[in-house]
Amino acid sequence: MTVKLNNDKCDRCGTCIGVCPTNALLLLTASLVIDSDRCNTCERCVVICPFGALSLADDSSASTNMT
Amino acid sequence: MAALTYDIAVIGAGPAGSMAALHAARLNRRVCLFDRNARVGVPVRCGEGIGFRSFIAHAGNRLEWTKNKISRSVMVSPSGIRVTIGNIDESYILDREKMDGDLVREAAHAGADLFLSTPVTEVRRTGDGSYECRSPDRTFCASIVIVADGVESRIARFLGWNTALSLSDVETCAFCRVTFPLIDQETCVFYVGSTVAPGGYAWIFPRGKGEANVGLGINGTKSSAGRAKECLLKFLDKELPGASVENLHCGGVPVARWVRPLVRDGALLVGDAARQVNNISGAGIHYSLFAGKLAGLTAAQAMGSNGSVDYRLLARYENEWKKTYGKQQDRSYALKEFVMKTDDAFLDRIAASLAKEPPERMNYPRVFTRTFSRHPLLLLKAARLFG
Ligand SMILES: Cc1cc2nc3c(=O)[nH]c(=O)nc-3n(C[C@H](O)[C@H](O)[C@H](O)COP(=O)(O)OP(=O)(O)OC[C@H]3O[C@@H](n4cnc5c(N)ncnc54)[C@H](O)[C@@H]3O)c2cc1C
Repeated sequence: MTVKLNNDKCDRCGTCIGVCPTNALLLLTASLVIDSDRCNTCERCVVICPFGALSLADDSSASTNMT
Repeated sequence: MAALTYDIAVIGAGPAGSMAALHAARLNRRVCLFDRNARVGVPVRCGEGIGFRSFIAHAGNRLEWTKNKISRSVMVSPSGIRVTIGNIDESYILDREKMDGDLVREAAHAGADLFLSTPVTEVRRTGDGSYECRSPDRTFCASIVIVADGVESRIARFLGWNTALSLSDVETCAFCRVTFPLIDQETCVFYVGSTVAPGGYAWIFPRGKGEANVGLGINGTKSSAGRAKECLLKFLDKELPGASVENLHCGGVPVARWVRPLVRDGALLVGDAARQVNNISGAGIHYSLFAGKLAGLTAAQAMGSNGSVDYRLLARYENEWKKTYGKQQDRSYALKEFVMKTDDAFLDRIAASLAKEPPERMNYPRVFTRTFSRHPLLLLKAARLFG
């Protein structure tokens, strides 16, 4: 499983970073970056996102096809 | 490219970071100020409410940063009982786009080097005790680093702090600008209850001329992906049907105890990054202005002319914060812990009892006295929260 970003929904507010226990998330000027090596898929970022821009996806499925 | 070298590096140009950079630069230190965004202060992620006294104390008499004056507030209970608090200290609704922008310009004018569109990705302490701040295309060196990166507080984690918030210690928010002719322009309205905003509240803060900031925060423990936005859309539909809605954005408010220690070696933590926020109201502008200025001045004073740092002097920042606001912020945390245990029936009972009082006699201490009359210990804590 990995955390996936729906960039169209993301408002770049940084709330997800505030709750990330492994420092796996980083906001650059244009977008949020997820470091999947650091991420332990605790899902706190998914749950906290006010706009629902993050989700936990099964890597084996067609993972990037998010709507 | 060779690293650029400064006395003091400030990461994040919100009110905390800009105040720090401004006051350090005014004392002729070599200061740099970074922000990830190309323009600071937009989008405004804030309700923009501030008490008159806090504003004057920490911003000075900068009336050009105020949009509207508030003389009353109304609390709406879960079942819709309205309690009017007529006797509040005057409050302002600010223009944060202007305030944040002006503060950054003033810091630059005072001599701080401003680096916009510059996200700091990592900070490292080097062998000689200075700090290396990395951004995607440049590295900066500084003897002291002031960390003001807001709710995310990511940078502190490279410097020995654990600033990751538990879900119960964050309010996840969605908000917008609304134009609606029927909004009473002198009244801030707060809505509580598990349907409107579970573990938080919804707000209508009028900005004048029919405009208002409308938003809500829900506690992280009650959140699920996208729930804050869903709650806001429902709230708008119910309370302000047909209003024109613009600038729908989101953000997070840390509702945690302020971070201890505030200073590690030559690194100082300020503002939301230090969790310097009132846990009941979510207000942090006044703390950020205060802590930013204090951290900037202290850092500048600790910086010797030969490039040496008086680390012991830096501890003054934490001591002053603790004396001025630290205890009040701690009490707000205790109170939040209590409020999180209450339910809709409790809030309705209190509202029903308060609604019988004449509004002009109602002030915040009275609301709290009533609320906590069955909980004498909390009453003591609450009474001092606003004292
Ligand atoms: C929805 C909402 C409503 C609020 N309403 C109120 C209110 O009505 N009254 C009140 O008093 N307070 C309110 N607050 C709280 C208030 O907005 C904050 O306390 C205040 O903005 C904190 O200031 P700051 O400078 O610490 O952080 P911020 O204002 O968040 O500034 C942090 C800055 O750092 C930058 N940054 C972050 N990481 C990096 C990096 N790695 N590199 C470079 N730059 C970086 C960001 O781009 C940002 O500009 C509200 C907050 C929210 C979310």
